[in-house]
Amino acid sequence: MAAFHLEMKVNGELVAVDIDPGMRLLDVLREVLHLTGTKEGCGEGECGACSVILDGELVDSCLVMAPQAYGKEVVTIEGVAALGQLHPLQEAFIEAGAVQCGFCTPGMILAAKVLLDHNPNPDRQEIARAISGNLCRCTGYSKIIKAVEIAASRIKAEAGAASD
Amino acid sequence: MGARAYKTYKKDEIKVLKLQEFCQPVELKKALDLLAVAGDQLKPLAGGTDLIPAARQGELKIKGFLDLSRLEELKGIKEEGREIHLGSLTTFSQLELSPLIKDQVPLLAEAASTVGSPQIRNQGTIGGNIANASPAADTVTALVALEAQARLVSSQGIRVVPVDELLCGMGETGIQPQEIIQEVFFAIPPPENRNGFVKLGRRKALAIARMNMAVIITLEDGVITRARVALGAVGPNPYRNQILEGVLEGRKPSPSLLEEFTSEAEQEVAAKLGPRPSAPYKREAIKGIARDLLSRLFFGNGQVVA
Repeated sequence: MAAFHLEMKVNGELVAVDIDPGMRLLDVLREVLHLTGTKEGCGEGECGACSVILDGELVDSCLVMAPQAYGKEVVTIEGVAALGQLHPLQEAFIEAGAVQCGFCTPGMILAAKVLLDHNPNPDRQEIARAISGNLCRCTGYSKIIKAVEIAASRIKAEAGAASD
Repeated sequence: MGARAYKTYKKDEIKVLKLQEFCQPVELKKALDLLAVAGDQLKPLAGGTDLIPAARQGELKIKGFLDLSRLEELKGIKEEGREIHLGSLTTFSQLELSPLIKDQVPLLAEAASTVGSPQIRNQGTIGGNIANASPAADTVTALVALEAQARLVSSQGIRVVPVDELLCGMGETGIQPQEIIQEVFFAIPPPENRNGFVKLGRRKALAIARMNMAVIITLEDGVITRARVALGAVGPNPYRNQILEGVLEGRKPSPSLLEEFTSEAEQEVAAKLGPRPSAPYKREAIKGIARDLLSRLFFGNGQVVA
């Protein structure tokens, strides 16, 4: 079948690629753009390893046909660190020991980022709900929740320092 | 011994769906014209959360997709007079967060908030929930209690059908191949009403409903003058149960009415499920969810399983 001309923004950059429209957004990110930070786990929306931010909302990129991203803005884990500087969430995940095998980590960080973008001061329940679509088989989640709390307090402190 | 059978795929098979067509119209009229001549070549694609894995796993044979995601005519939540109109592409997250929905029909916001995961709620749509006709569709149970109607459009015209009449069994609907759901609408329940939704899943997130229930009661001078009760994951599709509505109508909320309702609900579930393996469990479980929901609506307490 004819190729589909897909234009979208990925991590702030305009991307235009001709793709097979039977590909999912996940496939285009990994196989065409070689952004392999986005993982494929279950391929059916249960595990959240393929989570990306699409127009500001967390989605499973295995459940989005690539053409559906036309004209939209995608943020993957590669777009979270600014200018070589790790995001406070990434720093906090390392510090809190919230990364073990690491397979869920990109999705977890993006889920947490969307949460903190909307709610800079979440309680533990809100954090748990925000990451409820992301499975982790190593950490038992408590260190991940701790990491999100650390990052939230740091982002707040930085924002406070910046406005002083 | 007992080696686990993992699914094996050839690399090409798993990566790319073999599609003959992928259409992405930006006008509803164009979409309907395409569907009118497509036969079974085009399947309308909304949020895709059920359709995409089903197509990839070969459960559904998809020749081509008609992607609805750019059709503005299918978007938005509107209040028109005493009715609420939901564009069919309204996502579960939009329902969950809409001040209008939370204020006027909390049962629908509650139902939407229990679907899948944050990711699924951001992607999945109310139109897809109907068209997919899952027995356990959470928002559909709420829509059935609200006596919602679906507005179906095709190049031939428009028809309006009650949502519960559109559902014709597990995965089956009366939606014609050339039709799409443009919107779903319902009357806002009368002012003196209380409504709620309860779901029983295996865990809080990502659980398909083992059972769900939506109830709307209208009170006048302390008496329930009108009741709507819908049950999901008990029959092939969510449905209204008029026997349970009859138990409530004309009565005053009381602990004894609550008990009467629960035992009637148990009998209804038993009758509906017959000898299915899940029946003994669901007969017990319905009592728990009925008690949770009604005690909240009757007495303003009792936590809902979210």
